[in-house]
Amino acid sequence: MSLKFLVVDDSVTMRRIVSNSLKNLGYENLVEAVDGKDALAKLEADPTINFIITDWNMPVFSGLELTKAIRSDERYNRLPILMVTTRGVKEDIIEALQAKVTNYVIKPFTPQILKEKIDQIIANTQ
Amino acid sequence: MNQNRLNNISHLFNKLDDMKSLFQYGQKIVPILQSLVDFMQETVPLLETINNSIADSTSKIPKATTQISSVTNATELATTEILDLVDIITNTLYTIEAELKKILSTGAKKAEAINELKTIVAGNGRAEDLIRTYCENDITSDSLKNVLKYFPQLCNDAGNITISLQVQDITSQQLAAVNHLIQSVQQKLASLILDIDESKLEELDKSGIDVPHGSTFDPNASYDKSEVRQDMVDAIIHKENHKASQDEIDKLFS
Repeated sequence: MSLKFLVVDDSVTMRRIVSNSLKNLGYENLVEAVDGKDALAKLEADPTINFIITDWNMPVFSGLELTKAIRSDERYNRLPILMVTTRGVKEDIIEALQAKVTNYVIKPFTPQILKEKIDQIIANTQ
Repeated sequence: MNQNRLNNISHLFNKLDDMKSLFQYGQKIVPILQSLVDFMQETVPLLETINNSIADSTSKIPKATTQISSVTNATELATTEILDLVDIITNTLYTIEAELKKILSTGAKKAEAINELKTIVAGNGRAEDLIRTYCENDITSDSLKNVLKYFPQLCNDAGNITISLQVQDITSQQLAAVNHLIQSVQQKLASLILDIDESKLEELDKSGIDVPHGSTFDPNASYDKSEVRQDMVDAIIHKENHKASQDEIDKLFS
């Protein structure tokens, strides 16, 4: 399965860290977005994107709003969404699951955790 | 008529008694009122000082929030520079590693040439000695192999520096939370300047600082590298998924 990732984070540092981690895991096909709105525009412009890694707290359009928007669109409702966030409160995790994120990673993450979650998602989508 | 006059006199005495009580009460209350006036005379300048102090502090708050924001910008800039350098170092390491591997791969050809040379110079004692000395001192292959062993660790360490820089994003969220807190305090102080009274002070004392829903920071963000938090997330996901119906699980993982 050829993966094209959309990395969504308002922090330039985090976008680079996630992108670097993905490259180190062998995933070279990446697109970046600065917030949820930008992500939706990038998704609309590039239908080959088939994996989203998003932060939660972002201006304009949060990761949670992005997830809800994606899930409400029939074209994208099977798209894997991995939420990578500092929000570790139980209520937040449940809220994200209810919005139908595919999996959830707490910052700071390790490349091992990122790999584990991506592999899990790929295994479950095949 | 007499009865009427008696009643009036009685009423007059009652009123005089009331006045007497009032004067007696006044005698008692006057020192208290005097103390109160003294207290007010001392307190008013104090309140004025407090008011000025609050106004002064409030006027400094925008500067504090700007400075916090500039700290965030500076750390983001510095982090980007570090990430750039780590990228350069990693790429250089990969280039050096590739070059060393290329040199190492020539070792087989070199050994082949030496073996051929040995057969050519067989019987020539001096030449054989020179070849032996050359082989004994040719430690290139072993040295290269030893050096190459460090490369995976070096690349891994460079990667770990990158991962540790997540601290910048986490601290910027913490600083954004502090900024929000300061701004909230500023609003409260501003209202105090307009009207200092006990009810407002009480209100200030009791009210917490609410983080607006949909804010772009997490006030609880922490740089915690232990796996405990991720384990908790996994446990919640596991629990939630098992609570859901099979259809929902299928949908979630399909």
